[in-house]
Order: sequence, then C-alpha cells, then structure tokens
Amino acid sequence: MTERFDTAFHPFVIPFLAGMAFVLAVCLIKAAIVVRELDKADRRKWILSLIHPNIIIKNGIDIILDCLIHVRLWKRNRLLGFMHSSIAFGWFMIILLGHLQVLIYCPERLSTFYYPIFFDYFIEGGQYTWISRMLDAFLLLVLAGISLAVIKRIWSRLFGMRRTTRPTFYNLIGLYSLWAIFPLRFLAEQCARAGDLSVAPWWAYSISLCTFMVVLPFGRYLHIPAEMLLITFRNAGLEIKKPHKGMARVQADSCPNCGVCIDACPMNADPANLKDSTVYLTRQLRRGNAERVREISDKCMLCGKCTQVCQVGVDGPKLRILARAARKYRINPDFSNAGTGGGVRAVNKVLYFSGCMTALTPRIGLSVESVLKKAGIDYEWMDRDGGLCCGRPLHTAGRLKEAAGLVRRNEELIVGSGAAVLLVSCPICYREFKERYRLPGIRIVHYTDYFCELMEKGLLNFEKSDVCYVFHDPCELGRGCGIYDTPRRLISKAASIAEAPKNREESICCGGSLGSLSLDFRRREKITQASLENLYGSKADAIVTACPLCLSTFARYSDRPVKDLAQIVDEQTKPI
Amino acid sequence: MKRNIVIIGGGIAGMEAARALLDLGHTPILVEASKMLGGHVAFWHRLFPDMSSAKNLVGRLETEIAGSRILLNTKVLSLNRLADGYSLKLSNGSVVNASVLLISTGFSLFDARKKEEYGYGIYDRVITNSDLEAWFSGKRDARVPDNPESVGFVHCVGSRDLKACNAQCSKVCCATAIKQAIELKECFPYAKVYCFYMDLRFFGKKYEDFYINAQRDYGIRFIRGRVSEVGETIDGRLQLKAEDTLSGKPLKVQLDLLVLMSGIVKNDSIRELADMAGIETDSDGFLRSIDNEYAVIESNRPGIFYAGACTGPKTVPETVAEARSAALAIHSYLEKL
Amino acid sequence: MTDFGFTLSRSSTLDLQRVDEERFEQLCKLEKGASVCIGCGSCSATCPAGALSGMSLRKILLAVQRGQEVRTMLQCCMLCGKCTMVCPRGINTRNLILSICSIYD
Repeated sequence: MTERFDTAFHPFVIPFLAGMAFVLAVCLIKAAIVVRELDKADRRKWILSLIHPNIIIKNGIDIILDCLIHVRLWKRNRLLGFMHSSIAFGWFMIILLGHLQVLIYCPERLSTFYYPIFFDYFIEGGQYTWISRMLDAFLLLVLAGISLAVIKRIWSRLFGMRRTTRPTFYNLIGLYSLWAIFPLRFLAEQCARAGDLSVAPWWAYSISLCTFMVVLPFGRYLHIPAEMLLITFRNAGLEIKKPHKGMARVQADSCPNCGVCIDACPMNADPANLKDSTVYLTRQLRRGNAERVREISDKCMLCGKCTQVCQVGVDGPKLRILARAARKYRINPDFSNAGTGGGVRAVNKVLYFSGCMTALTPRIGLSVESVLKKAGIDYEWMDRDGGLCCGRPLHTAGRLKEAAGLVRRNEELIVGSGAAVLLVSCPICYREFKERYRLPGIRIVHYTDYFCELMEKGLLNFEKSDVCYVFHDPCELGRGCGIYDTPRRLISKAASIAEAPKNREESICCGGSLGSLSLDFRRREKITQASLENLYGSKADAIVTACPLCLSTFARYSDRPVKDLAQIVDEQTKPI
Repeated sequence: MKRNIVIIGGGIAGMEAARALLDLGHTPILVEASKMLGGHVAFWHRLFPDMSSAKNLVGRLETEIAGSRILLNTKVLSLNRLADGYSLKLSNGSVVNASVLLISTGFSLFDARKKEEYGYGIYDRVITNSDLEAWFSGKRDARVPDNPESVGFVHCVGSRDLKACNAQCSKVCCATAIKQAIELKECFPYAKVYCFYMDLRFFGKKYEDFYINAQRDYGIRFIRGRVSEVGETIDGRLQLKAEDTLSGKPLKVQLDLLVLMSGIVKNDSIRELADMAGIETDSDGFLRSIDNEYAVIESNRPGIFYAGACTGPKTVPETVAEARSAALAIHSYLEKL
Repeated sequence: MTDFGFTLSRSSTLDLQRVDEERFEQLCKLEKGASVCIGCGSCSATCPAGALSGMSLRKILLAVQRGQEVRTMLQCCMLCGKCTMVCPRGINTRNLILSICSIYD
C-alpha cells in the first residue's frame, strides 16, 4: 500500500471541506440558539444530564437505535426501516471504518480530514485489506438503500404507503445530491482501483457531498443532527413549553418528513385535510409560516396517532396545543367566582364524575350507577345535575391559564368532598384528571379499570351473552391513558369479542373529537365513516366503546348498534 | 307486452292511486311489503285538522280498490329495466312485467332512540308520537301514566336537525303535536300540556284555527325553546331542560309524560329501490323529482312515477292529491304509448 | 335646542338602519356558522356555564348581530362543547365562541 502523491492534496477536496465546515458551523449555531431558548431550569437539567453516566449511556444507545438503525421504523414498516437504516447505518459505518482505515495505514494523514473520504484516490492498493472489504460491503448496503429510495419515490405503494410528502424544491436538491453521493463514490473508487486516476468522478463525488451538506441545515435533512439533540433533550426529561422555541423547535427540526403520519392521520379520510398532518406542521413551523401553522393546529383532532407512529417522537398534539396557546384573546373567562353550590359530601366513598358530555348520553351514567349499586359500592354522583367542566377542552384549545383556573376549582370541590376514589366515565375528563389534577389521597380511576377490579373481586355476577362486540379504543383512553386491556377483559366476560384490523394503539379516531377547533360538523362525517369501516372489518354484531363522544358520533352513522361498555356490563350482570 | 301498472307501496298514496286508476279503467297491481294496507295512516287514530278517523279513511279506500290485484307481504327483490318497461322479481316468487311503475313507498319515522339526550328507550315516561297514536287507538302502554299532572311535547325530534342527519322540516309534526295535545287533553282535562318548539309551522287550510283552538279552548302552552336534555328525578318524574328563548331564561320543568314528535325521514329501503330502477335520490335522501315545482310526481326515467312521501314529507291531503295526479299522468302516458 | 333641565330617555326602539353590523360580518368570516343560527336555544339550555352564570350563547350571538356589547357575557364559558353537540344547525359553536373572544377588544 503506497501513497500515490507526495502532496497528499488535490483541489477536488475543497468542496467537501467547505461543505463540512459550513454544515458544522450552521448546526452548532442552530444548537446554540435552541439551547438558549430553553428556560433556565431546563437548560440546567439538560447540561447536568450530559454528565450523568446513566443518561450518557442511554443517549448513546438511543442514538444508535433511533438515528442509525431506526428500530421504531422497522417495527412499523420493515421495508421502510431497511431503507432508512441501510442508508444511515451504512453511511455511519463507512465514515467510521474510513477513519479507522486511515488511522491504521496512514495515521499521519488523519489530520487532513478528507483522507478517509477520498482514500482510494490518494492510496494505491488499499482495496486488499479486510477493512476495505468491509467498506465495500457497507457501500453496497447504502446503494441498496438508495435504490429502494428511488423506487419509493416512483412507487410508494410498494412500501405500504398510500401517500407520501411532496418534497419542496430545496429538499429535492438535497435528495438528489444524497442519491448521487454513493454511486459517484463507487464509480470513483472503481476507476482509481483500476488505475484510472481521472479526477472527474472525484470532483463530482466531492461536489455532491458539498451540495448535500450545504442544503442540510435548511431542509428536511436537518433531522439528522436535530434528532440527536432531541434524544439528549428527551432523556434529560425536557418537555415542550414554548410554541416555537426550544424543545418545540428541536422536535420540528427532527421530523425526517418520512410521511408515516400522513397515512396514520384519521383526518385524511377526507382528501381536503391531506396537507394538515404533523409532517406539514413541522414543515410550516420550520418555515415560520404562521398562518398555515394556525390552520393546521386548529384543525387537528389531537387523537395522538401521529405521535404513536412517529419514529422520532414528534409530539404533534402538544405542538398544536402550544401553537393555539400562543394566540391572545381579548375576552378571557374567569372561574374564580363560579358558583358551584354547596359542594358534594362523599367521605371515604366513591365519587363518580360523569362529565359534561355524559349529560347528553344518559345511558352511560345510568349504567355506571346501576353497576355500582349491584356491586354494593357506596358512592355519590358528583355532577348528576350538572357541574363544572374538567378543563380539558379549554386546555386543548390552548387556553392553559383558564383551564388551570377551572382545575383548581374542581380540585377544591373534590378534595372537599372527602372522597377516597374519584371514578370517571369520560376518557376526556379522565386524562385531564390524571395529568393535571393534584388530588392528594384520592385515587383517580376510569370505570373500565374499576369494573375490572370489581369483577376480579367477585362483586359482579356476569352472565355471558352470545353477541359479538368490537371494542373501539377511544383516543384519550387508549393512546391518552394507556388503557387497552381492562375493557377487553370486561367484554370477553360479558360477551364475545372481535378485533378491528386497526385497534389498540392503532385505533382510528371517531371524528367527534373536541380536540379540533375548526373542523365543522359536516366535514367530520367522512372521518367517522372511515373509523366505522375499520370497526366493520371485525365482522362484529355491535360496536362498543367507552367514551360519550365516540358513542354519540358513531350512533349517528353506524349501521349496527353502538353501546357503551358500562351499558354492556350493566346488561350482563345480575345483582349478587 | 301487457300494459301492466305496478304500484310499489300500499299506503294511502298507493291506495288512492289504485282507486283512481281503477276509475280510469286500469287494473293496477299493488305490492305491499307489510301484512296490511294503509301504511302509517293505518296506525294513526285521528287526522288533523278535522279530527276525522284515520281508520275510516283506510277502510273506505280498501273497499274501493278491491278490484285491483293486491299483493301483501310482498317485497320487490329485483328490478330490471326492459326496452319498453320494467321486469320485477317479487318475494312471492313471481315475476311481473310492467309498462309503468308508481313508487309510493312513503317514509319512515325517525328512530327517537338516536336522540339519546331525550331518553327514549332509557326513561320510563318517554314515548313517541306513534306510540301515543297507538295508545289513542286503544293499545295499552305502561309508559302513559293514569293521571298525568303535566305532559310535554317536543317538536322537531329528528327533523331540522343536522345531528340527526335530517336537516329538513317534517311538515306535519307541528299540526300533529297540536292534534295529539288536544286528544290528550280530552283524556286528561286537568293535565298541563306544554309544547316545546323552535318554530311553529301551520301552513294548511284550517291549521291556524286549529292552533288558536288549542291555545284558547284547551289551554295548551307553547314554549319557544328546543329541549336540550331530559333527566329523571329520584321519584321517577322527568326533568326537562330548555331555554325559554322568549324570556331569555333557562327553563326546567318536571313532567309525567314526554311525547317526542319523531320526524319524517326517508324510507330505509328507498336507496336500494332507486339503484335498481335507475332513479335518483336527492340530497335529503328522498327520491328526486324532475323538479320541485311542476313535476314532483315525475322521475328521471320514463314510466316511473311518484306519489306521496317518497319524495319528501307530505300531509294526507297532499298525498291524496299527488296520488290522483299520478294516476292521471300514468293514464295519459299509457295512452301515448 | 332649548334645555328644559331634564333628559329624555333614549328611545328603546332598535333602529335596524343604525345597527353596527361590522362585528357580526367579521364574525361570519371567521365562523361561517354564525349566520345560520335559528335561535332555538339548545345551546343555552344545555350550557353548564349557563347554569353557573346565566351565560347564553344564543343571546350573545344575537347581541353581536345587533351590534351590542357582549364582553361580560362570555366570562364563564368552559368550551366544553356541549353546545356543539346539540346544535341542530351543526354550528361549530366552540370556534364561534373563540372567534367572538378574538374580535372584541
């Protein structure tokens, strides 16, 4: 193995070096801006996390698994996972092994930075080492990934994707330069190894690298460095606090525009909403297009499916709630003086909170009450004759301060009642209670969990019917609060159960969600129909859910009976 | 081909058309899916505004159409278009060819359980307009109390309501509510009767007199406010919430009986029939006429005519008038063939 | 004009020609549903805030339409969405409320 030139330099390395310097500088500046945008406590938390040994290890593992191997994408879509990880991991290994190669065979050239990139031009006979063979293998892997990427652009359905993002002109430049890098490297290397030292392919290779790196900080490829920062932020325990800054900005920048959220978004049952998925939100956030950010934020039903499927963990609903919160209103509600009557007494009892919506679906409240009676539970119904809202609708509308005021009022009432258990039937309320209420000494429980306990204690005497039900996981109960199993256990005790093709974490929003501010009634029907079609796919006789909004939304269009889980438990239990 | 006329639907529209066609010298075939003729009217007690007996009307029509071929318990399984008419496969196994079809499939009553907030099927004291008519006709109903102190009527249940998937006015419920309120008042003279309405629509001959009558002679109270929800008190009475929009105050009242005026919605099977026959349904789900001014009884296909509520909510006199005009139109259509 | 030393009460007649419709028109742009309200009162009847404070969305919308003051009438809205659920005209009442909140200064 010998060096071909004593100078160890050729002008074609300049584009690469310039690009590299540029991308490093811009990314560092961007990172500095983001860190500055964090509030003091968060910044402290983050810096401390960077020297915490456990978190360092976790950061390392997460970066390898998420950024290089794309484990989460593999789980979702194997072909897509292979495509992304072969490019990311392959490229990473090429860089790593390239440097190793220089370190072993010509360590004095390591300081040039460009030797590992253009090794075969400067070194003769380098191709016979084991390291070079491994490099070739990884280059082949990357080329396989690139060819898949090309196929995906032309025929995305092959990847199980019905819809993908339309790249912008800028991103297209990035895309094509990325595609060009590896075949050009292959070509240049093969020429050099064959003894053809013409510099044209090396120039092209270097220029394509430069183009990619210059484009990187301004397009979707920013996700590569941003995701690494996001992982350290997440492991430090940071949350989104400001609408467009700090953690929110890193999340937006981390979006790789893979488009998995487009097919997942339930709103896309109506093509009019195609441009309102989270991938477009992050795009508009990057561009600072306030009007579109507002439009996208207001429309979303906050079902959380995009976050569920997102491989980098962009929290679409949270980003939207904060975008809504940034808006200033001139009339602001105030609940400090809201008259709430004498308050309810339920010392050491179960306090049942049915929520506003349940007043319009009385069978839920009545069934819960009947089941409690059968099980011999001592309870009080807090809002039988109406009460205060739990605060979640205000919260999701971005009126955070007002929501907090309402939460405080409810806390006073509930704590003042002396109850031991707060039983909730509405998943929307339940999530708010779980996430935002401080109720010391009071257990907050959704009736699905509670009834399941009663069943296991033998307090409910079930009689199995032969009706087959399919359970629709309400967004707030499933993805929101992680309750998937207890409803199914109850149903299989009361009747037989079938599963819809998309269920549990993958459940499709009913379309009735309070999360959306701007979707009006008529524009929700298609969403509901798509959700129903999925449930019909189970071939069940009837649909069962555990949310008053899902219940009334489905009941409007469903071709088969729609029931609430409490109703089924009530119907299929006998007094002991 | 024999110049057959097939009438699909044996409600009063189909019956009156059959009667008129018999008069004009034709022998129509009347196909009715249920076991008896008369449709919804057969289950009604009295008709507004003259309070005449619905049974008498159906009975009279029944005797007058005895000369036509009547197929009860018979459904149209399939319908094929021929060059000069239609071929129908019926559920009794027969196949009938017809030059002319008259569609008089009528309407369905809105399923009041879909307005869950009103508690039909949930609370013991909530009934619908058709339940009340059955009770008037002598059918026992445990939900109607022996001596109600107060009774409420809710107008527009499942009509003029996008949430019930029916944005249209059902046309007949306002007058029906008054008629039923009067009949109920005759049964329970001491009961207080309230009608909760959004708008009162009394457009027909004598309807306004009927309204005045209800106010003045029967003391029925009209409250302008749509009922939002109904609950039950511990002692089993109903508690109703509305806004008294005229005084601008939230209103609640305890009732012993609540009657829901279920609206008129499209017949459940109309879509299937329309698809088979190649005729169109309208945005409201009812059948689409050539126009809604001059040719309400004509479809977009030659030889297919409409009568009655299959094209939208209709009163009894309107239905009868349409049936006669359809009969005449069919007669001239056949003459020209 | 001669000052008689006492004031006449302003006419209680609503002069439609003088009604300031600017805000209502602004509102209709933000929420198209504002124009299709039939004033049935379902929203007010079902409103939990109405039970607390007497809030009535029907009255508020009418007041906007008549160019009257509404600022103090929305103090207790919890955006709970019951009004959206019951509205027979399918008006997106929550967007309506937020739009009203944003057009008054």
